[in-house]
Amino acid sequence: MTASQPAANRRPATGASAMLAVDWTRCDGHGLCAALLPGAIQVDEWGYPILDQSELATRPRSELTRAVSACPALALRRA
Amino acid sequence: MTSVLPRTAPITALPVGWIAEPQLLRGIGSADLVDYRAHRAQSVPARRLSQADLLARLDTAGLAGRGGAGFPLATKIRSVLHEGSRLTPFVVVNACEGEPASAKDTALLRFVPHQVLDGAMICADAIGAERILVAITDHEAQLAVSAAVASRPDAARFEVCPIEARFVAGEAGALVAALSVGSDGRRNTAQAVPPGRRVLPSHRGVDGRPNLLSNAETFGQVAVLVGSSPAPAAASQAATRAPSTTSPRTAARTSTGTRLLTVTGAVRSPGVLEVPDGVPLAQVAEAVGARPSQSVVIGGYHGTWLPAAMLSELTLSAAGLAGVGASPGAGAVIFVGTDTCALAELSRVVGWLAAESARQCGPCSFGLPAIAQGVASLLRATPAGPTATGQLVLSRAGTVTGRGACAHPDGAARFVRSGLAVLAEDVGLHAAYGTCRRRDQGHLALSRSAALSRSLALSEAALSEAALSAAALSAAALSRAGGGGMGMGAHR
Ligand code: SF4
Ligand code: SF4
Repeated sequence: MTASQPAANRRPATGASAMLAVDWTRCDGHGLCAALLPGAIQVDEWGYPILDQSELATRPRSELTRAVSACPALALRRA
Repeated sequence: MTSVLPRTAPITALPVGWIAEPQLLRGIGSADLVDYRAHRAQSVPARRLSQADLLARLDTAGLAGRGGAGFPLATKIRSVLHEGSRLTPFVVVNACEGEPASAKDTALLRFVPHQVLDGAMICADAIGAERILVAITDHEAQLAVSAAVASRPDAARFEVCPIEARFVAGEAGALVAALSVGSDGRRNTAQAVPPGRRVLPSHRGVDGRPNLLSNAETFGQVAVLVGSSPAPAAASQAATRAPSTTSPRTAARTSTGTRLLTVTGAVRSPGVLEVPDGVPLAQVAEAVGARPSQSVVIGGYHGTWLPAAMLSELTLSAAGLAGVGASPGAGAVIFVGTDTCALAELSRVVGWLAAESARQCGPCSFGLPAIAQGVASLLRATPAGPTATGQLVLSRAGTVTGRGACAHPDGAARFVRSGLAVLAEDVGLHAAYGTCRRRDQGHLALSRSAALSRSLALSEAALSEAALSAAALSAAALSRAGGGGMGMGAHR
């Protein structure tokens, strides 16, 4: 087992810095965030969110904040 | 230089050997354990180094962490120093070896514990840390280190912390969580799972203090570096030598020029091997008596499969492996013999990796079993061809990457992707006939005793044959290199 950093915590390769981050130990896969930010957050086949950071960077801050406070598991945060 | 010790056969047998001159393992071969007296007799007395002196030496040597990530130690030390915390830092020695194909840290702690303890003490003195925590999963290593600590004049500064063994226990975040004193006032060593929010140990580690947390071998290398390196002036001269062009022979002479490997799989003498950094893989294969191999896995079960065709050209160093998309990781090298069904081996290990998920994070706890199921189904005959299943496995490997609290899904995905790329032909055979006419021989072992036990099955005749071939190799290496021969020490 290495002590290496998971890729999610690194800057995305696109050059855009991360806007939102998921605490994967908390996320229950409700998918609420994906419903609030369609096109920027998708869900995988198990219902867990896939974040498109460069797309998130184009969204108004208020929309991101709304998604963060809507997350029932307190799993979503500003990066 | 060649020594094969008689073996009794306890289940915990841990053979060690070396190519060229051992540095970390210096002194063993004539003894089971290099105790404090013997250690002091052969090393420069541990001395206090200033921060600047230590950092200069580490920079010069380019010493990188040996736990897998390969992060430069000097950078880690600087970030602890720049933390500006009011709390005194801790040094944390990570000797949690959850990887079944790795035993090198365990070997260090069992046989040459003072190398690791000296190195940790040198770092602690330089950064102003009072306490040193040594986190260990292996029971015998715990006993050895406890005894070693007790024999030292600086014993009071060490704390030996047993950690429950599991694959993710050695992850830095998990280790910090496990070691931190809980509300009951005790270190909660059972709870070694990665926390949801990643915080660097150098920022906020055990007990909320800045921690210099690194792998056991890294600290051992510090002791070697400080114990044998000349005065700083000469050391800075050495800096002008380009590390990437260093030949194995010169590497062996520089103070951090070695690397520990755990070599297992289809080999006559599995075990822990100290080698010059950048040693040719072919030389390692010779030294352990590798049988004809179809592929080799570098870096353990979070590592990379490489085809045997590369065997003759690969060298084991970060630079040597970067070109083929691999890295030495924690030094686990596994030879996959031509007589085994490698796809079945891959499938078995991926199933195990899925089961080792700490089941905290959705993408990891659902994704890895789904990937394992996909790989398993590639073993069966598929009239429509394997393409759709293979694609699905690869796309799921992409999906889980980077989506966990630790790098377990990333490592598992790397292992699967590189495995399927190397085994494309076998995947085709299985899809067509449901078999490749070979059986899983267990070359990729799921327990350390299974990984290392092959040597126990060797008859006395085979042992002396191994000794003879090691002697022959030694002579060959001598004539090739004009000095610095090769020795294989076998050790319990
Ligand atoms: S809303 Fe929260 S819990 Fe639900 S999927 Fe998004 S991050 Fe996960
Ligand atoms: S990514 Fe997997 S192994 Fe790592 S903490 Fe999450 S569930 Fe556990």
